[in-house]
Amino acid sequence: MKQVQGTFITGYVTILIRGHYPELFFQKCTNHGITVWNIKKINNEACEGNMKLSDVKEVRKLIRKTHYKLSFIQKKGYPFHYKRFIRKKPLLFGLIISLFFIFFLSNIIWDIRISGVPKDIEEKIEKQLEQYGIHKGAWIFSIDSPNSIQQELIKDVPELLWVGVSQKGTTFMLEGVEKLVVKEEKPLEPRNLIASKKGVISNIYVAKGLPMVSVNDYVEPGDMLVSGKIGENEIEQEEKDDEGKEMNYDYVAAEGDITAKTWYEVNVTVPFHYNYEELTGRKEKKYHLKFGDFQLPIWGFQAPEFENIHYDPYEKPIHFFKWKLPVGFVESTLSEKQVFQGKRTKEEAIQVGVEQAKSELLLGLGPEAKILTEKVLHESIEDGKVNLSIYITVEEEIATAQPINQGD
Amino acid sequence: MKKWQQRVRSLLINSFALPSDVILELPRITVIGQIHVYIENHKGLEIYSDTELKLKVNKGYVQITGNAFVLRMMLPEEILLEGTITDIKFIPS
Repeated sequence: MKQVQGTFITGYVTILIRGHYPELFFQKCTNHGITVWNIKKINNEACEGNMKLSDVKEVRKLIRKTHYKLSFIQKKGYPFHYKRFIRKKPLLFGLIISLFFIFFLSNIIWDIRISGVPKDIEEKIEKQLEQYGIHKGAWIFSIDSPNSIQQELIKDVPELLWVGVSQKGTTFMLEGVEKLVVKEEKPLEPRNLIASKKGVISNIYVAKGLPMVSVNDYVEPGDMLVSGKIGENEIEQEEKDDEGKEMNYDYVAAEGDITAKTWYEVNVTVPFHYNYEELTGRKEKKYHLKFGDFQLPIWGFQAPEFENIHYDPYEKPIHFFKWKLPVGFVESTLSEKQVFQGKRTKEEAIQVGVEQAKSELLLGLGPEAKILTEKVLHESIEDGKVNLSIYITVEEEIATAQPINQGD
Repeated sequence: MKKWQQRVRSLLINSFALPSDVILELPRITVIGQIHVYIENHKGLEIYSDTELKLKVNKGYVQITGNAFVLRMMLPEEILLEGTITDIKFIPS
């Protein structure tokens, strides 16, 4: 059967021979070196068999010399399929178009990913890329090689120490390393450190300057904590100058951390009854097409079954190449919420009040501050609310700078 | 002359172990169960129908009968027959 293998690719035909003793014609074919297979005798006068497409010419020649009648029943194989396909023009056209589209779309940049740098630099890089002609929807052929983009980016964005540009299919990946631009600190003007709040000093650390207070001193706002006026030449001056009146001072910018205990009295009001909302987990989604202000519902026409609704819309703009279309797609999630009413006892209310007072205070003082103690000074109940006045001790930084007027 | 030829041939077969079908120009018929018959070295097709195949061979005919006959393949001097075979008969001429 080796001879028959592969005939589907080269093509084969089924022929029908009519006449007296039609099988003898097949014998004649084989004598001429034509391979025939699947020969079936249909009746005394007719016989069919398969042969290769390339042998058809030969068979036609042979049949002319005989009284047999030849007809083709079936044409099978790739050449016939191909011919049939070529004849279907719209299909062919569609295939070409789709190939063209695949080629076209795979040569467009669909995404630019920048990683490793903060947002502001990311934006700068994006702007720079836009200038090079790299944006979503750009034609890949019109773009320089990643290597040269890399070099140009480093040149044009001074904040970048290094940038790796690679192209993965239709995605442009940029990985940047930010250059830390360290500004040289200006030499500070001579200054003192003074207290900004009243309190009891708990810790002193002076980097530069002359400390004027010691631990456990009580200070008022405006009191000098660290002086920037250093009299290091004092002694020499005194030796040389008998009068010692004109002393030569050195002025420095005082630096240091002065922490002190400070006190605050905070008033809070906590109601016994309160409301809070909770999502039950039941939700429905609705989809709209948005044209300007008009929203056309696409999916989810019915109003949800639940009453209390938390509405959460999310709008996705639709892009055509790089242009944003005036049409948007809005996906909104309607979640059911439940309103609960809570009731607190007096003790719970006080606890909540203290926590609230503490967090409010810390919010105002910054992360450095530390709450040491708190004490409820006074509590009163009024109209279903607890009024609390709380006394809080805080340890915090109290030094602020005050420039020294050198008076010249 | 002919006798001498035949003697040489049988000598070749016996002493050199050459295949007899090649030397004597006889058909080699391979039968697989009832379903296939493979005939090599035939001298031409005489009759073929649904129920009968008659082939010319050296000094006579081979007649194969049965039913549902299909010639799976036909090459010069080779035929592969498929169907249900009942008889294989040698008819000397």
